[in-house]
Amino acid sequence: MRVPLLAALLFQLAAAPVAAQTYASPAPVPRTTSAPALRAVAVKREIEERFTIGLQAEARGDWSAAAAEFERIVALEPAEPQGSTARYDLALAYANLQRNADAARELRAAIALDSAFLAAMANLVSVDLALGDLAEARKIADRYVALAPESARALYSRGIVALQGGDAATAREDFGKLLHANPSYALAHYDLALAEERLGRYDAAQRELESALGLAPTYARARFALGVVLLRQGENAAARNAFARATLDAAGDPALQNIAAAMRDSIKNP
Amino acid sequence: MMEGVSRTQLRLLAVALLTGVLLCGRLAVAGAASIEELLAGGLTPSAAPALLGPITSAGRVGWECKPERAASSARSREADLPPDPGTQ
Repeated sequence: MRVPLLAALLFQLAAAPVAAQTYASPAPVPRTTSAPALRAVAVKREIEERFTIGLQAEARGDWSAAAAEFERIVALEPAEPQGSTARYDLALAYANLQRNADAARELRAAIALDSAFLAAMANLVSVDLALGDLAEARKIADRYVALAPESARALYSRGIVALQGGDAATAREDFGKLLHANPSYALAHYDLALAEERLGRYDAAQRELESALGLAPTYARARFALGVVLLRQGENAAARNAFARATLDAAGDPALQNIAAAMRDSIKNP
Repeated sequence: MMEGVSRTQLRLLAVALLTGVLLCGRLAVAGAASIEELLAGGLTPSAAPALLGPITSAGRVGWECKPERAASSARSREADLPPDPGTQ
């Protein structure tokens, strides 16, 4: 009986150093005892944690919780790129809380910190359009196009701003460039047609609308615009047909459906 | 006497005609304006693009940042632009 007990004790003694080697490595000893340095480490850690929590809140659509996290990060004044990124994410939360003026302010601050932040410019143009601030939307859209002249979003955004602001020539140029790289984007054909129509170039407008309708045959707004262009060219019967078809295709857009029906009924049958 | 009456009648007729012409003109202008307003109501530009999504604490630089890639892409499908009608 004593021999197995002795063997077990010897085994335990032999195994002890091996077990000690499997312990988790101890946490590194702080390299400083300086209070400001330790505080900086804690702030950095807090910023990372709040980013994680804020992004999780945005992912589940809890914009109030997300805004609170990013507001705290902004108050901590993180270095770049986290400073501009926190303001960008805070703006996203504000915009989804219908606080567009606050969103615009944060996006301006993000761009001031990072002058080539294209996503912030893209979102600021959209927020400005929602606010009806066409002057700032145009200023930012011009800067966006200057920094990224091939960007589809930059060209589309400035084209829309230009159309809303009555600058049909710029809209024509931007949608033309956008279509050069994306010829099968029906919306761009439609917006280019609007620019052509405003410049009195009805043939070109008709061509673009026919392209849009070739790509998206049930595109009610393009069908209505085709009716307008045909009407301007004196082709009343064809215009009436276009308005009639737009009335059918605009089932999901009652306002457009009413206008199309009124136009159809205002043109007498030959 | 007959001359006086006929002059008055002529004046009345002229005033009536002038009023008629003016009214028709104003109605025609109003009609044209309302048709133009009607047309303008249907000829509205497409919607502004929806907002690009959130960015992680790593920032916008790098291939992993989808919003920044969407903002710079030359392709409409990668740019998160409004979809074509009938393709949603």
